Amino acid sequence: MHSAASRYIRPDPPGRPGGPAYCFLLLLLLLAAGPSEAADTVTVDVGAVYASNEGTSIDPTLGTIRGKLQSMFNYTSYRMLDRKRRSLSVGETGEFELPGQRTMRATLLPAQGDKVRLSIRISDGPRNLLTTTLGLRRGGMVLVGGPSHKAGVLILLISAE
Amino acid sequence: MDCRAALRSIEAKADGLLPREEAAELAGHLAGCLACSAEDAALSATGPVLRALTGIRAMEKAPALDAMWTRVRAGIEESRETRRRSSWIARWAWIPAAVALAVAALLFYPSTTDRSPFHPSSFDVAVEDVESDVATVALVDKGEDLPRVIWIIEDA
Repeated sequence: MHSAASRYIRPDPPGRPGGPAYCFLLLLLLLAAGPSEAADTVTVDVGAVYASNEGTSIDPTLGTIRGKLQSMFNYTSYRMLDRKRRSLSVGETGEFELPGQRTMRATLLPAQGDKVRLSIRISDGPRNLLTTTLGLRRGGMVLVGGPSHKAGVLILLISAE
Repeated sequence: MDCRAALRSIEAKADGLLPREEAAELAGHLAGCLACSAEDAALSATGPVLRALTGIRAMEKAPALDAMWTRVRAGIEESRETRRRSSWIARWAWIPAAVALAVAALLFYPSTTDRSPFHPSSFDVAVEDVESDVATVALVDKGEDLPRVIWIIEDA
């Protein structure tokens, strides 16, 4: 009777109480060991904005650049169509697909200090729309606009960090 | 009432199931039948004897029963504690799972896209050269607070 009752009510052995904590620590380590950008690489950020007079909406993802776009251009609507980032090291070329079958190729050139030099080439199929070399600070931005898109134009927000 | 019926009535009386009208009839029979009267007396004494005997046995077994009940109660408590502990683990187990999901999203979300708003720190840009095969290119500079613009005017 005693052994039978004991067998019936004996609980399962308790689990290891530190299990979730170990998982959490492991994940923190994974996060800490995640990819980090080296100092000699530059992240080129290209946002493709569709500017038109269709409606009056301003894309909130444009951030602080919204007011500047409104003060510089006469369009009533600014919509972010696409945004891409590429981390480039010196000599490396990154390709950015743009709306309307256009492409932009950016090559990071050698520069000193917090300066960033980029060779930019924007193509529309086989046509070379623009070739330029830019020098900007890390965190700086330049706009490239004008290519027609639907009822408006494309404005590229090119920044380097 | 004959003796066979009287015996059935005596058993019913011992069980407390004898109707009142039959009790009077049985009493009449017992008054004139010594054998049935002796049977009635014996059966009537059996109940108290059995109760007393059960009480004595219960007293004898009380310590063992107490000890068994103590073990059972301890087992129940231990089982409850284990259930409480496992339910605590189940309640908080989602945290590592949520962290794992967040980390996976951070690690595997396409790094080529970004939805954070633009916050440029500088519009100081030097345009070293500009050329185009198929368009006229204008350089627009509206001041230090505004970004420089390279405007492509596609030829018709």
